[in-house]
Amino acid sequence: MHDFIERITAYVHWALFLILEAFSGFLLFQYNHYQGSIWFTQANTVVGIVHEWEAKALSYLRMPAENAALVRRNIILQQQLDELRHKANVDTSMVNDQWSMVNDSMRLIPARIIDNSVRKRDNMIVIDVGSEDGVAPEMGVLSGTGVVGIVSGVTPHHALVMSILNSHSSISCRLRGTEYFGYLKWKGGRPLRAYMDDVPRHAHIEKGDIVETSGFSNVFPAGIFLGKVAEIKNSSDGLAYELEILLSTDIANLRHVNVINNLIKEELDSLKAQ
Amino acid sequence: MIVSTLKRLFWALILLAAQVLILDQVHPWGYGAPLICSLIVITLPMGTSRSAALLWGFGVGFVADIFAGTAGISSAALTFIALIQPPLLGLMAPRDSEEELHPSFSTMGRWNYLQFIALLLLLHHLVYFALEGFSYFHIIDIAISMGVSYAASLLLIILIEHVRNPQK
Repeated sequence: MHDFIERITAYVHWALFLILEAFSGFLLFQYNHYQGSIWFTQANTVVGIVHEWEAKALSYLRMPAENAALVRRNIILQQQLDELRHKANVDTSMVNDQWSMVNDSMRLIPARIIDNSVRKRDNMIVIDVGSEDGVAPEMGVLSGTGVVGIVSGVTPHHALVMSILNSHSSISCRLRGTEYFGYLKWKGGRPLRAYMDDVPRHAHIEKGDIVETSGFSNVFPAGIFLGKVAEIKNSSDGLAYELEILLSTDIANLRHVNVINNLIKEELDSLKAQ
Repeated sequence: MIVSTLKRLFWALILLAAQVLILDQVHPWGYGAPLICSLIVITLPMGTSRSAALLWGFGVGFVADIFAGTAGISSAALTFIALIQPPLLGLMAPRDSEEELHPSFSTMGRWNYLQFIALLLLLHHLVYFALEGFSYFHIIDIAISMGVSYAASLLLIILIEHVRNPQK
């Protein structure tokens, strides 16, 4: 009997190993879905508080670089606006009227990133605003330099954002100045490179062409900068072009973002459903 | 016993904090971040029961997973190397070493300890990135991420071990 017990205890660590690995496997499959993971992982209250402390400290360190990027972007936008006004010789009051109309239908909710990653295949971002601030799933998230991602889950004070650096992300986009549109997807690896597929072969494309949101999905308004064409390649079936896009937003180096609350999205969605 | 467990727990907290607050934000060339939590398992002393080693590995991995949003990945990888660590330490420790040998450059010798770290770290990275990638479609990207993360982790761990326990 004693011998038997000794023999059993000699193998107890194997049983423990199998139990622990099985439990890890359970966690892996149970909680690695985006919405399902929200309670267990990054957005739960305790983890949220720790990440918030960290984010506060880091945002001070990264402020100079971010400010510089914003200033640069502001200057570029002002120059473009000026140029356009001259070209079109538009009455500026009309431009202002149109802008206020866009503003009435969209509300921007400022947020700070409290957790972020770019090294996984399915990267998610946690921001410090949630349902109590008016954030809901399917809302778009922007930074000063372009598109960041789409909200996929919310708790009262935090939201989980599916970053554009996520293999499930697919953003409706078009080439600026043309009607060619497609979907922007990320295939892993370099965080500044994504792909736009299904561009017809007769399209006239050049390196450096600008890719922007198409506005078809109602998540993002049309014309938001996504990046520039870096390479023109053939798609795997050879029937279309696949464009390699140099993304305008460096997700790895982000601290401040804005969530877009498209106030007429529900209206548009119900219209589409009809 | 209790003092050494508490010391180890404190050491684990420091490494976890460094991993979560600093290293998870570092992405060399946009690829994988260094993973140093395995150092807690690597440095478990000789004579640690195999069950205790497994619990250490799982516990540290579990906490790292919660903060990094990688549910189950670190815990599986660290539990795996916790299974390998005691017999590997028995194989690689010098013959005349004391019973409760604490693995370090000074107790195991420079080359031996380096091999010991490199091997366990490689196993940890293999399991971690295989579970994280979970597909063969992007095997090259996964391999590059693993390679970059492995090199960065190895350098960092060697540095930490030199600071923590300088060779006499």
